[in-house]
Amino acid sequence: MRWELDPSPSLWKVFLAYSLFVALALLLLGLLFLLYGVSPLKAYGLLLSPLGDSLGLAEVGRRTIPLLLIGAGLALAFRVGFFNIGAEGQLLMGAVGGAYVALFLPPGPWTLPLMFLLGGGLGAVWSGLAAWLRVRFGANEILTTLMQNYLVYYLVVYLVAGPWKGQMVFGFLYTDRFPPEAQLPRLGDTLVHWPTLLLGIAAALGLQLLLFRTPLGFEWRILGENPQAARYLGLKGGRLILLAALLSGFLAGLAGVGEVAGIHLRLLEPAQISLGYGFTAILVAWLARGRPLWVLFTAPLLGLILAGGDALKLALSMPFRVVDVVAGLLLLSLIGAEALSQRRLIWRR
Amino acid sequence: MRRILGLLVLALGLAWAQGDKLKACFIYVGPIGDAGWTYAHDQGRKKAEAALPWLETRYVESVPEAQALPVIDRFVREGCQVIFATSFGYMEAVLEGGKKYPNVIFAHATGIKRAPNVATYMADFYQVYYLNGLAAGALSKTGKVGYVAAFPIPEVKRHINAFTLGVRAVNPKAQVLVRWINAWYDPAKAREATEALLAQGADVFAFTEDTPTVIQTAAKKGAYSFGHYTPMLKFAPDHVVSGQIVHWEVIYIDFLKKVKEGVYTAKNLENVDYFWLLQHKAVEMGADYGVPINPKHVPLLQKAEMTVGGKKVSVYDRIMALLKDMQSPKPTFDPFTGPIQDRKGVVRIPAGKKATLQELLTMEWAAPGVVGDWPGEPK
Amino acid sequence: MEEALLRAVLFGTPILLASLGALLSERGGVVNLGVEGMMALSALAAFAAALEAGPVWGVLCGVGVGSLLGLFLGVFAVFLRANQFVAGLALAALGLGASGLLGKRYEGTPLPDPLPEGVLAGLALILALGLHLLLSRTRYGLYLRSVGENPKAADLFGVSVDGVRYLALALGGGMIGLAGAYLSLAYRPSWTDGMTSGLGWVAIALVILAGWQPLRAVLGAYFFGLLFFLQFRLQGSVPIPSEAFAAMPYLLVILVLALSGRARAPRALGQPFDRGR
Repeated sequence: MRWELDPSPSLWKVFLAYSLFVALALLLLGLLFLLYGVSPLKAYGLLLSPLGDSLGLAEVGRRTIPLLLIGAGLALAFRVGFFNIGAEGQLLMGAVGGAYVALFLPPGPWTLPLMFLLGGGLGAVWSGLAAWLRVRFGANEILTTLMQNYLVYYLVVYLVAGPWKGQMVFGFLYTDRFPPEAQLPRLGDTLVHWPTLLLGIAAALGLQLLLFRTPLGFEWRILGENPQAARYLGLKGGRLILLAALLSGFLAGLAGVGEVAGIHLRLLEPAQISLGYGFTAILVAWLARGRPLWVLFTAPLLGLILAGGDALKLALSMPFRVVDVVAGLLLLSLIGAEALSQRRLIWRR
Repeated sequence: MRRILGLLVLALGLAWAQGDKLKACFIYVGPIGDAGWTYAHDQGRKKAEAALPWLETRYVESVPEAQALPVIDRFVREGCQVIFATSFGYMEAVLEGGKKYPNVIFAHATGIKRAPNVATYMADFYQVYYLNGLAAGALSKTGKVGYVAAFPIPEVKRHINAFTLGVRAVNPKAQVLVRWINAWYDPAKAREATEALLAQGADVFAFTEDTPTVIQTAAKKGAYSFGHYTPMLKFAPDHVVSGQIVHWEVIYIDFLKKVKEGVYTAKNLENVDYFWLLQHKAVEMGADYGVPINPKHVPLLQKAEMTVGGKKVSVYDRIMALLKDMQSPKPTFDPFTGPIQDRKGVVRIPAGKKATLQELLTMEWAAPGVVGDWPGEPK
Repeated sequence: MEEALLRAVLFGTPILLASLGALLSERGGVVNLGVEGMMALSALAAFAAALEAGPVWGVLCGVGVGSLLGLFLGVFAVFLRANQFVAGLALAALGLGASGLLGKRYEGTPLPDPLPEGVLAGLALILALGLHLLLSRTRYGLYLRSVGENPKAADLFGVSVDGVRYLALALGGGMIGLAGAYLSLAYRPSWTDGMTSGLGWVAIALVILAGWQPLRAVLGAYFFGLLFFLQFRLQGSVPIPSEAFAAMPYLLVILVLALSGRARAPRALGQPFDRGR
């Protein structure tokens, strides 16, 4: 008896595998809730509750925005074989760039576009550095981008505790509030800053076209699937990687600008700016299977998990770690289901 | 029929009882954890709930600043009548929420901006830090006292300064070596910062961060330490001398009672600001509840002497006298009484003056004797 | 200076143990990104057991839970042949989350009899040496490396690829568990949610920095421990902002990486093995 790859799994098998694993995850979660003294049904209801009202939908939307931008960029980067773990840091760089424009350049109608430009640019520089280190010195980008996250964390702390500290913040670690010209419009009285949302959707569509409808995209896909073949074909691997890295860093930078210009309206302590979007987006990108377009679906899905977990911890006064448990179990069930559905059991050796 | 009526009455009664309860909801900035800021607020919440039978509470932990407003939305929807926001960073969200929900009462810890339905409150330690500083100055043999600090914000700077003024009152040559760890919660950084200070000769420790790590580390090398926020005696019974303990429940109970009695409404909180100190019993000096100084260290402090107004007195007596004074309804002593210069020689509080509340809340300068990096130090 | 070296070793030890654990399975071709969560759960298990039954049980329990979690990752990475990177990230979240939920009742309790750090630090050093010998001198080491480099060939030679990988995950998990136990029983003898404070990620980075060599991991871990300590030792004594010092360890890791050039990863790293392929 052994496992074998199933090249063309039937639809009902895929369905069965996913149902099985999701049921398993829900069962485990339910057990955990029971142990904690909470009715599992009530907990599941809460988990999905953000879908049921406008407040909840706004929360899902707010979290979807950065996940969309970063996720689309990472889907591209991963596909090309650039394992960018540093979106968190690139997002912070974007926030720094945006804050610089907002605080130190004369405000006007050009402020917001300039913020996105500089923020995205700094994000791109930050990821481009890792790509350059890899192409030039062979430094592993998983490691360099991870370390860069820490560097920019301290850069932001330095800025808000030192030179950029606001005059009106009573000594706390904030810059002053951005002028109105540097604040993004929001949808009604929610925190959904819609221009960034549009940018995210455009990014997903644009990268999908770039990847599947242009010669550049063709080269990218070859490089990602078979670096050796790419070399035989005479493709310039270094440049292709650098370009993909720059693009994903740029989009993460845009997400950073969106967070500071749409929600915080100032630069502040780094752990408060990013909330781990850079890491969650890795999962968004992975679930999208290297297709930037699919991020339009996977980013809201992760957004729902985050918002649902929040509803859970708020309604039941549960520890915040419940979000991690829910996310971890659901993810494991998804990848388990995927793996299972692509295999079949053979009853002979 | 009678049974149905009975059930109806019971249901109505229940509904009445439910409606009669006051629902107070708490927004915490960090996980509750085992010590520190959020833990102390949660203790206060529990004690208030135990003391006030008509009170019902809810809480949510680890709420990032950006999420405070959505959380307020939810809380209001679930019927919260009073919302306590326990971090400075919630200020904008609280003020915005206050406007959005004019009938809900808000109270903002460490806040500085109020509104008709937004009050502010704080239980501050600076007096206790000064007293602990006196003890630290007396206990240090090397004349170097270590201080592990989270972030360079006014609250922490105020506490370091008060502590240092205390240390220097006993030993005018002593130094307080400050290390910033740029985190509220990070045991590894707290541990290594303490080790670094030990390596530099510090033999007494105080700190502002959310774990007992400094105490555990110092005790390994036999160094004295002062607990922070919650009683930490149990983490090193032989080495914790004293510490700062908060009683948020004192403020919570007072505030909620006044809401219940109708003294506080959603229209008259514009000037309600608690800045409660030793005299209000909102803070306590102690290694444990009711233990101002670890009995094991009392003889040492009785033996140590300091000069007050030209006379020699025992440090222990001085601490106890000042503690009693500051706990009395009309304290005469305040650590931040001029003349006080900062470490660069600039006069910060003129002779005969006390620091105003505003000056306390925005303190940026460093007291003489503070050694180390000091982000945001005025020129 | 002595203190600095001592801190380098004592703070480097948990990082070393965790990275040895990750290194072991990676040499067999299985990426483990779940280190942070595995450390957190085993730190909790170790602490709970030490409180109930004594420190030796604590260590055993931490190692045991680490091993089980390693096998749990194996269910996904080896049995189901799922994406190892995502499985690891999910395990990291799950471990952190579960330890936070289950550990509530242990928070705020000091451990009465902590373990001496020195003993565990010595053990870690022996383990590193042992792992080096295991990889270079034993039959299992040969199998492990071949499975990590070319599982197909190993399979043809009759090596059980899956078996070798399960064993590597269990042994490596045990070392990661020991790292967790070090944190909650010796380094900071108590349990709090989040007490691993990101060391698991540093450990994963260290595997790459060490070029998948156990003895180089020793140097790397101590180097990182030294830098981490120095940021506080030097803070304030030179006119450089404290944030710059805090960033120093990470900057130097990047520099070392750029200078040391291309470390070669096991060729089959992260790829599920399918016989039919």
